[in-house]
Amino acid sequence: MNVTEFRSGLRLWLDRNDLSPGPDRSLDGQVAQLARVRRALHEADWMRYGWPAEVGGLGGPAVLRAVLGEEVASRGLAEPGIYSMIEVLAPTMISYARPELAAEMVPLLLGGREQWCQGFSEPGSGSDLASLTTRAVPRGGDWVVTGQKVWTSLAQYAARCVLLTRTAPGHDGITAFFVDMDTPGITVRPLRTMHGVDEFAEVFFDDVVVPADRMLGRPVDGWRLAMDLLPHERSTCFWHRVAHLYTRLDRLLTELAEPQDAGEDLALGAAYLALHTVRCRSHGTQRRLAAGARLGPETSVDKVLLAGAEQQLFDTARDLLPGVLELTDAPWREEYLYSRAATIYGGTAEIQRNIIARRLLDLGRD
Amino acid sequence: MDAAERDLFAQTLRKTMTAASGRALDTALADLGWSDLLTEVPDVAVPLTFGLLGETGAHAPLLNDVLLHAAGRAVGGTPPLPYTGGAWVVWERTDETGGALDGALPLRTVAAGDPVPLAAGRRALGWWLLGTGRAMLALARSHVLDRTQFGRPLASFQAVRHRLAETLVALDGAEATLVAAADDLGCLLAKAAAGQAALTAARHCQQVLGGIGFTAEHDLHRHVRRALVLDGLLGSARELTREAGALIREGRSAPRLVQL
Repeated sequence: MNVTEFRSGLRLWLDRNDLSPGPDRSLDGQVAQLARVRRALHEADWMRYGWPAEVGGLGGPAVLRAVLGEEVASRGLAEPGIYSMIEVLAPTMISYARPELAAEMVPLLLGGREQWCQGFSEPGSGSDLASLTTRAVPRGGDWVVTGQKVWTSLAQYAARCVLLTRTAPGHDGITAFFVDMDTPGITVRPLRTMHGVDEFAEVFFDDVVVPADRMLGRPVDGWRLAMDLLPHERSTCFWHRVAHLYTRLDRLLTELAEPQDAGEDLALGAAYLALHTVRCRSHGTQRRLAAGARLGPETSVDKVLLAGAEQQLFDTARDLLPGVLELTDAPWREEYLYSRAATIYGGTAEIQRNIIARRLLDLGRD
Repeated sequence: MDAAERDLFAQTLRKTMTAASGRALDTALADLGWSDLLTEVPDVAVPLTFGLLGETGAHAPLLNDVLLHAAGRAVGGTPPLPYTGGAWVVWERTDETGGALDGALPLRTVAAGDPVPLAAGRRALGWWLLGTGRAMLALARSHVLDRTQFGRPLASFQAVRHRLAETLVALDGAEATLVAAADDLGCLLAKAAAGQAALTAARHCQQVLGGIGFTAEHDLHRHVRRALVLDGLLGSARELTREAGALIREGRSAPRLVQL
């Protein structure tokens, strides 16, 4: 299956099988819609392309997943942020879980039967992730986890969690587990956020018993696991997000009244140029990935471009639709507010520039 | 042209551009078969040649040839070229310096000209601007690594590092648009991205170079001048960005120019 065949087949199928979301824009509604879309796409096999046979996939290049996500985002079938979580969770399981565990679990995620979450950030460990303190100690044949996570997307809906814990000091002392969220001792408390969607949660672990065979990789592999998922996030997830942002630029263009001043075209053009630039960059990243390249710190460039383009787009919408996000309940308000987080999540704008300076410009230590 | 041939070609070009500029470089490139390369392998010849003009700081009137070739005319002439603000210039094939901000370039303003095919020229200028930006970044990088203040290299200060990181992001982003530029709109956007990136490089690199970057004995000012002048040729970043904005506003949709 090549990209062209896949895309045209997928489009035809989506034209005939309407998966458009209903009127419920609440988070419950969005998560239910996401499950519906994944389930339908999995049952019709589209969601199985680009994944290996070991986890029930049909194989083919990973770029097919980017094409699928672009189509989902372009048609507004699912919120792209939560849709794209499969792109970090499933590859992590494929690389680090016991093969039987990955084979059992990954189809549940891809098929929309379960949501999963990723327990990385902690109250004391945001940008400095390696300082995390949620600890796991061995007891009998099990591990016992105690600590707190924060900014855990969809934790309140999740059946499982890819969890980073500390088992020894330093980067080598980080160990990952695949934890069932219904294990006694886990408490989830959704966070109220500025944009009004309780997508993130705090997760408390109080003597939570995790079987040893749920360890992902070896006890020293946690940091590498966390680093390995960045390239996934910054290739396929970014492509999805760019596709989503183009739909928002299109929406802005259809909502604009007659131009008020010459500055409007300049602002629109600048927003478009920023989106076009990150799309071209992400396209190059997809091609390098397809050619077998190992992605590394250069994806921080993609991240800076994407976060900047996203904020510029919503700033432009606010400027050119005066009063709309302040005075009406149009989606612009929530989306504008959410765009403020683009330079914070997934590694802040400052951390990205530190990485670029150190690793790409070779400027030595700061 | 395979990778090894391309590397060899790049080495030869770099050596030639280090040794000569202006009319002498025009002649040397003609001897190297520039017009055949432009006709036969433009997708290799244009990015390499124009990128290296930027990186080495040399100049040659090759833009004329790119436009003439795109118009199906014989290379070697000097068609009037549209400049920002409704002006027109001719890029002479002599060493007479003109009155432009970049005094090394033999540019002469003229009253008017005929329409020229813009896309190929914008793409070529984009590669040149990108090379100029990379040259400024290289100068700034070596300065901040060498110079010490407060007992530390400038490169260890985060404010300095972030300016240079910002510069690299702009340049790499512009390069991606140049690689993808295939049609008129793609070339327009790529020229805008490259112009903007070169101006970003000029601003940040000038700042981290401090006083030395403001002197005529340091090379930075040559690249700054070149970036400013090339940005205006065939449409400035600002003009082109506004043009793109008007286009998508009228079309009520933003074209997705690259596809997986």
